[in-house]
Amino acid sequence: MYKKLEGKSTQLLEKIKESLDRLNEKMDVMIEIQKHTQRENPDIPDVLDVMTLLSLPDHLRKTAVALCKLDQATAEEVAEQTKRARAVESGYLNQLVIMGYLKKERRGRKAYFYVEKET
Amino acid sequence: MGKIIALHSYKGGTGKTLLSVNLASTYVKKGKNLCLLDLDFRAPSLHAMFKTNKSEYWLNDYLNGVCEIDKVLVDVTQEHGRSGKFFVGLANPATEAIREMSAKDRKWEMRALGRLLSLKTSLLNDMDLDYVILDTSPGLQYSSINAIVSADIVLVVTSLDASDINGTQRMTRELYNLFEKKTGILMNKVLAGILSSKKEKEKFHKHFNSVHNLPILEAIPCFCDVLRAGGTYIFSEEKQDHPFTKTLDKLATKIEKF
Repeated sequence: MYKKLEGKSTQLLEKIKESLDRLNEKMDVMIEIQKHTQRENPDIPDVLDVMTLLSLPDHLRKTAVALCKLDQATAEEVAEQTKRARAVESGYLNQLVIMGYLKKERRGRKAYFYVEKET
Repeated sequence: MGKIIALHSYKGGTGKTLLSVNLASTYVKKGKNLCLLDLDFRAPSLHAMFKTNKSEYWLNDYLNGVCEIDKVLVDVTQEHGRSGKFFVGLANPATEAIREMSAKDRKWEMRALGRLLSLKTSLLNDMDLDYVILDTSPGLQYSSINAIVSADIVLVVTSLDASDINGTQRMTRELYNLFEKKTGILMNKVLAGILSSKKEKEKFHKHFNSVHNLPILEAIPCFCDVLRAGGTYIFSEEKQDHPFTKTLDKLATKIEKF
């Protein structure tokens, strides 16, 4: 009887932990978005020009330059250019999407990243 | 695959255009197929050297998305070629065009970077050129940084002027190193006396290699003959046996192995 109850509460605790983890992830993304929407001059658009490239941290600059060269690409194609792991590039590319410099589009099972060039 | 070489400098008047034109001519003489592009939209210069009216379009039009690069390029092989093909792309020298180019917004500059990056496919792959040489504006300008990002090799032209050396050091730390490009220094207008013996030359190279924290690819002496020519003709093309021409021959070989 006690064992049954213990098992049920463990399951419940695991579910609560999973929900909390998911909530934490969502909070992280929201914090990132907020950081980049509270810019000094909100009239200046997020443009991935060379001055922006210069201001990015080294690891993101490498990803951004590779994507500029490829025009549009998957994380795997960027990883081929930068000689870093696909999962690493996927993380950096998503970060650049959150920062508003890149766009992401799903086509079938693949996610393509690109720079929005239209006015 | 061919290479894109950008010539840049911190200050103006260091000799970027003179070296770009003469280096281009040196490669063509060696049988390389090449294209020289004037990306100095603030002070266009190459039109004065090549005096051509064969093209309806300027590089400005290519970056504006008005035409493709083949409409801009002028084939000057007949006038200036030796064994390789020689193309030039000119910047529009009209005051109105200079004013218009300096008023572009960030979105335009971003698209211009995309147009420059795609030259790798159109010029090096499709036209099968060996080299594309980009002559740029001095300092931290959009068009120059776009050229640096698009290039495979960056050649930084400096003089012995203290402010030029200081500015070049800063740009090495804050610009060239950040884009992880192969970058080399060309010390131009060096007084002949400083390079009078082999020992003096070695001392000079050792000193400036550490000052710039980048390899000194060549120390080019200041020649009165070159100044006297005043950019009215391509010096290395006309004066084949001149020490300036020999120095550029050496430099071209070093860049090939760089």
